[in-house]
Amino acid sequence: MKLFSAILLSLATLGVQAAPRTVDAARSEISFSVKQMGVAVDGRFRRFEAQVDFDAARPETSSAALAVDIASVDAGSEEADSTAVERAWLDKAGFPRATFKSSSVRALGPGKYEARGLLTIKGKPREITVPFSAAEQAGGTTLLSGQFSIRRTDFGIGGGEWNEGDLVSNDVPVKFKLLLAPAKQ
Amino acid sequence: MSQPLPQRYGAIAQAGHWLTLLLIVGAFALGWIMGDMKMSPTRLKLFSYHKWIGVTVFGIAVLRILWRQWAKAPPLPPAMPAWERIGAHLSHWGLYALLLAIPLSGWLMSSAKGFQTVYLGQFPIPDLIGRDRELGKLLEEVHELLTTILLFVVGLHAAAALKHHYHDKDDVLTRMLPRWRNNGAAR
Repeated sequence: MKLFSAILLSLATLGVQAAPRTVDAARSEISFSVKQMGVAVDGRFRRFEAQVDFDAARPETSSAALAVDIASVDAGSEEADSTAVERAWLDKAGFPRATFKSSSVRALGPGKYEARGLLTIKGKPREITVPFSAAEQAGGTTLLSGQFSIRRTDFGIGGGEWNEGDLVSNDVPVKFKLLLAPAKQ
Repeated sequence: MSQPLPQRYGAIAQAGHWLTLLLIVGAFALGWIMGDMKMSPTRLKLFSYHKWIGVTVFGIAVLRILWRQWAKAPPLPPAMPAWERIGAHLSHWGLYALLLAIPLSGWLMSSAKGFQTVYLGQFPIPDLIGRDRELGKLLEEVHELLTTILLFVVGLHAAAALKHHYHDKDDVLTRMLPRWRNNGAAR
């Protein structure tokens, strides 16, 4: 009986802390779009690590930490890939990872949330607000998806001749989809 | 219909012909230069201009082919041997086919490489195919191969026109030129 209540207690305790949920990398994605001369060029990152604790019932206990491997950028062609990681752009050699760490999460409405946190690209931290939605999927998984926009010049992405005129747009929409494994009980 | 065939190319056919030459020379030069350039804003601009020219060439080729159904081309000189007639028809229709196929391959190649073609930076042309690296490389090869073939056929076409003018002394070349003098063939 003592053992039984101990198990119950530990289960209850586990439930209180939003437990980290595994992110299914194969079914998750982080993508962006850069517009040059009216042409939107889409890219994505093939490798990233994500630690997400998400509890729809108590969103304020949720948190997220992501680290994106800059070298894993896929901008469609070898030329575009190698340009994207050059020093003027994402500077793979100087800053191999871009990170996001949430500071707070709040509910906006049914299935709608907002995370605030620090996005660091090329070593430059900037506060950002990320609206996202959460949808329960079959099998207890949860799909978090959202979109926000950054100004690339805030992070010193693309400089010098690339900023002349309005050849390459400053606003870069970023989209993400994170598929979370079922919460551990 | 028993409309008599004209002896000269009309102003519209001539404009289409010479404008096409001007545009493909420009597109070829841009393609040659930008192919070896390091990525830079200038290179992206050249890529865009090259694509805009290609779309224009394609559009003009479609209009020329349609126009040719209405305003028939003047007949070949009666003295031409059969093999020359066949060669002339093959190279003319080959040129039209290339003027359509080269821009098409460039457009598909752009889509495969993840760069949509946006005509004049304003009018997006839908991507028929999605992003595909291997297909992109293959289409690049196709685009270059077709361009090389075009270069040869254009050379042949120009050499044939000069041969008609200087050797055969017929009006095959001059009927594609604006009338300089008044003694051109009567309408």
